[in-house]
Amino acid sequence: MSATCEFQAKDYKSDLKPIWCPGCGDYSVVQGIYRALAAIGRPPHEVAFISGIGCSSRIPGYTTAYGFNTVHGRALPIAQGIKLANPDLLVLAAGGDGDGFSIGGGHIAHLIRRNIDITYIVMDNQIYGLTKGQLSPTSQKGRTTCTSPYGSLENPVNPLLYVLAYGAGFVAQASPTDLAGMASTIEEAIRYPGFAFVNVQSPCVTYGEEAQQIKGLKAISESLAAMGHDPADRLAAMNLAQQYGQKMHLGVFYRNPEPPTTYDALVRERQALLAKDALPKERILDLFIKK
Amino acid sequence: MATQIDFARLSLMDALDLAVLIEDEAKERYEDFAAQMEQHRTPEAATFFRLMAGNEAKHGQELADRRSQLFGGLTPTVTRAMIFDVEAPDFDEARAFMSPRQAMKAALASEVKAHAFFVAALPALKDAKVRALFEELRDEEVLHQTLVKAELAKLPPDSGLSDDDFVDEPAAQ
Ligand SMILES: Cc1ncc(C[n+]2csc(CCOP(=O)(O)OP(=O)(O)O)c2C)c(N)n1
Ligand code: SF4
Ligand SMILES: [Mg+2]
Repeated sequence: MSATCEFQAKDYKSDLKPIWCPGCGDYSVVQGIYRALAAIGRPPHEVAFISGIGCSSRIPGYTTAYGFNTVHGRALPIAQGIKLANPDLLVLAAGGDGDGFSIGGGHIAHLIRRNIDITYIVMDNQIYGLTKGQLSPTSQKGRTTCTSPYGSLENPVNPLLYVLAYGAGFVAQASPTDLAGMASTIEEAIRYPGFAFVNVQSPCVTYGEEAQQIKGLKAISESLAAMGHDPADRLAAMNLAQQYGQKMHLGVFYRNPEPPTTYDALVRERQALLAKDALPKERILDLFIKK
Repeated sequence: MATQIDFARLSLMDALDLAVLIEDEAKERYEDFAAQMEQHRTPEAATFFRLMAGNEAKHGQELADRRSQLFGGLTPTVTRAMIFDVEAPDFDEARAFMSPRQAMKAALASEVKAHAFFVAALPALKDAKVRALFEELRDEEVLHQTLVKAELAKLPPDSGLSDDDFVDEPAAQ
């Protein structure tokens, strides 16, 4: 299937008007996704975009792809089911730092070890935006919020190191300080044959701190390509990822130079192998009925 | 602001195409901001952002006309990915419940940013015609700043009160 033809960014924009707070970083992420999808060129009806719950998880509705704004923390298992049921679809999953690394934190390891061909975009704003500014798993230690009025006592999760350690084949970071870079990073993630993770530092203008806004991010951002980082070097990627929270490295941390076969491809192979012994639908019940 | 432009090798056609892309990007960002303001019931700021979008569109069209008179339908070699936030305000310049004054100040900051872009590019330019175009664009940014300042001057004096005293933070969506 997978027809590719000329599409423009606007072809992926739906008529639904975003209701994010004015200035929210997620406005830039949706623009980056429109551009990346246009560069890939798959028609919107061949794209399934799955999210959890959160401000960021509204994103599928602002695209013309098939979308499913699911349950808090459950974007990945549902995206996985969709990809396995219809491997021809281009499957994107997205959500917030809370969605992906708190309530949904248990799922990512399993998608990575299975290596399902899904691109997962986390809009990391270091806060629970939708529920009005509670501490999130990526909030910095000491951060004062309504659930940490005296400052957080916890160390944050490092999303980059976390997915690298689990063995993700493609790990990258982007931000609204460089929209073209964000678009090309997301495009590269989609093109990677396997599970791909993009952490987007997407400022929450309403509950975020000053240093996390675009000017603050610009001050700590550095392009991995300009630094001469070799994305095939996983250990170098892990070393750089340690600086999450202090520096904002943009671009590809790691791309497996020899991507292994994806789980969806293996499942397809297995299905083909077993197809000759498969019972016709009307006889499946026979398996369960004692003769 | 970020660009991937080799200014020393810029031809007049490329320079005109870039100028059109810069105006286009700013127009789209202002339209986006206006839509955000409309969505959050801030019609005064929305009206101002629509005015800015209209100005950018008009200027972009003038430049596009000049380009087609000089170079007809020749395929452009520069792309949107080569420029970022030259004249467009940063994504996070929009704020919930922006007053017209805040909206105008955001636009003024963008005009200052665009002026700085053309000033910074000038020393690297080799082609005399491209230099003349960039000088013209630089001066236009000064003119735009004057226009926004004139709009600012028309506003009634600031009450000195903060909007934060009157409005709730945006409702959780
Ligand atoms: C099972 C469940 N638990 C809790 C919630 C409440 N809830 C909704 S969104 C959210 C966190 C949102 O934070 P994040 O995922 O970082 O997204 P953001 O809004 O910051 O984009 C929470 C706790 C819920 N909807 N469902
Ligand atoms: S609360 Fe924060 S994350 Fe949510 S829409 Fe507003 S700015 Fe964006
Ligand atoms: Mg969040």
